[in-house]
Amino acid sequence: MFHYDAIDTAMVADRNAEFRDQVQRRLSGDLTEDQFKPLRLMNGLYLQLHSYMLRVAIPYGALTSAKMRALAHVARRWDKGYGHFTTRQNVQFHWIRLSDTPDVLDYLATAELHAIQTSGNCIRNTTSDPFAGAAAEEVDDPRVWSEVIRQWSTFHPEFTYLPRKFKIAVTASPQDRTAARAHDIGLVLRRNRDGRLGFEVIVGGGMGRTPYIGSTIREHLPAEHLLSYLTAILRVYNRFGRRDNLYKARIKILVASLGAAEFASQVDAEWDAMDRPRLDLPDIELARIRASFGLVPFRTMPPRSERFEAARSDPAFARFARNNVVPHKIPGYGIVQVSLKGIGEVPGDCSADQMEVLADLAERHGHGEIRVTHEQNLVLPHVPLDEVPALHAGLAAAGLATPNINLVSDMIACPGLDYCALANARAIPVAQAISRTFADPARAERIGELKIKISGCINACGHHHVGHIGILGVDKKGEEFYQLTLGGSGAEDAAIGHVLGPALGADKVADAIDKLVEAYLAIRQPDERFLDTYRRTGVGPFKAAVYPDAHQA
Amino acid sequence: MSEALKVLTANDLAGGQVVFLSEAGWSDRYADAVIFDDAAAADAALEAARAATLTLADPYLIDVAAVDGLPVPTSYRERIRALGPTIHPDMGPQADGGVLVHALQQARGAARSSGRLGLIRRK
Ligand code: HEM
Ligand code: SF4
Repeated sequence: MFHYDAIDTAMVADRNAEFRDQVQRRLSGDLTEDQFKPLRLMNGLYLQLHSYMLRVAIPYGALTSAKMRALAHVARRWDKGYGHFTTRQNVQFHWIRLSDTPDVLDYLATAELHAIQTSGNCIRNTTSDPFAGAAAEEVDDPRVWSEVIRQWSTFHPEFTYLPRKFKIAVTASPQDRTAARAHDIGLVLRRNRDGRLGFEVIVGGGMGRTPYIGSTIREHLPAEHLLSYLTAILRVYNRFGRRDNLYKARIKILVASLGAAEFASQVDAEWDAMDRPRLDLPDIELARIRASFGLVPFRTMPPRSERFEAARSDPAFARFARNNVVPHKIPGYGIVQVSLKGIGEVPGDCSADQMEVLADLAERHGHGEIRVTHEQNLVLPHVPLDEVPALHAGLAAAGLATPNINLVSDMIACPGLDYCALANARAIPVAQAISRTFADPARAERIGELKIKISGCINACGHHHVGHIGILGVDKKGEEFYQLTLGGSGAEDAAIGHVLGPALGADKVADAIDKLVEAYLAIRQPDERFLDTYRRTGVGPFKAAVYPDAHQA
Repeated sequence: MSEALKVLTANDLAGGQVVFLSEAGWSDRYADAVIFDDAAAADAALEAARAATLTLADPYLIDVAAVDGLPVPTSYRERIRALGPTIHPDMGPQADGGVLVHALQQARGAARSSGRLGLIRRK
């Protein structure tokens, strides 16, 4: 686990002192709201529908038990006893007072937490693989590279006032658990034939009102040139990205308007002209960052755990083992996924009590590490298989053992109109209704992998464009309506979904999803996921299921 | 014919909570809100609120319809804002309950006036 050094600590303390002063000046009238708002946003504080919301960074989704306990304390002392984990691996507190925020930030700093790079037109918190350091197939630890990017980008004077916010994802496994192709820059680390580490560099992905899957502009950037090449991309974007139109300001619009090839050649021209050795990270610094993550003291164990296998005689445990536990790179260990999608619960919400239970369980069974996933779940990355039954019992007692990872009830939903000032419609009640429709875990398992993603407006914080089934809330003459899209994916087979038909009323959505699922079950071939069937058959059978009366187009 | 009714709302600067202009200053309860049926008076109150930058953020006027004699914000967004998150009935002003909270919770879609306002507190 990465630890701050003295420079990091001083930097966060300075920033907090500065913001405390700014809050003071706002409350005393020395700053107007117009002057203060950008400063507040640079510190992760938004004004939402009912209150201020504080977004706390969880760099590359990595938490320790101590950090989780600090989040629990914030939830209890300054909020209403819960937090919301987001698709950007951050956590949001929905009920924070402006006047308390300086104290909250000072407290978070004692646990090496902050709200830097969670808002504003800067390089945001880097997304990474929640299985980092545990996945068998990864070629290197992506957290190391995420931390490199973090150190380079934090308060980078050249990239603090970009045309728009900028999001980077890093993964080092073939299976993409970061939605890399939906980021401004997605970095996929691989080894080439000579065994050298390099990044596939993908630019111009994004959601929002004009969704794009990113384009690859370099197949294998030697890893040691990461920072100079990122600088070149950011410089081209900073120079030519549109500042005149908020909706055209993201890099995806620039890449799409120039074409990926032309964009790449401009980046190359910039890159060729620059003093690379001055910008690239010295090996010694990379080694220092790598070392500061420390080593997990794995034990040598047989690959098969008798205790784990015996526990499968309990059907609840067997189901949990099938859906929530995946193999670890070290024999005898497992990666345990904790669903924050209890049936009928709010996706991504976690109470202070649950946070503390997780912190304790991670300490007892998982080397004190907890990860946040971009699908709003949590992961205990390093659990000895022998201890999974005890962990499962502990999770179940706290309502955290829902065995539905990647299944239909494992939905993403943004806060929507229940909290968000920008929303057109609610997202959470829709997720809750769908979750209840598919409450039967046996049926959910029969359906198999199905990713439903819900956004309350076109900003697409809920990733609906890349849902196998996407749901977008719209306002139709003062009523909440929902538009369905099919066929999206945020994984390595990334795609943008297609609109199925006219938007549906709020009370029709769960039923429509049920019909889509039944249509799939009726026509699927062996081993086909919902997405595979859709890709094979096209929209026809699905459209007929939801809009039986529509005339054939 | 229904009249154009307005309520003046904002967020409290220090706390962030939703507030409404009442006879006795700014209140956390929608039930306390002054109902304006005079556009000029509503605009004047909005101007005054904009000047109160030490206590308020983002003041604006919302449309209200008289539904069964009760003043109900016409947009569902404003009803949720006046109530609190619909998924947590125990949070926000809705937790206090009452006739008006109930009326707001029952309203669907774009509320339309169904007659004159039965209550009170107009300006
Ligand atoms: C509740 C307060 C929130 C506000 C005001 C907000 C605002 C926005 C806006 C304005 C955009 C569009 C930006 C653009 O296209 O340039 C956006 C996109 C996005 N937000 Fe949020 N958001 C909020 C909460 C969340 C939450 C809870 C999540 C995670 C569940 C999230 C994750 C994202 C993602 C992933 C995108 C789209 C990806 C992209 O194109 O960058 N946001 N948000
Ligand atoms: S998608 Fe829209 S409604 Fe949902 S959190 Fe983002 S801005 Fe708010």
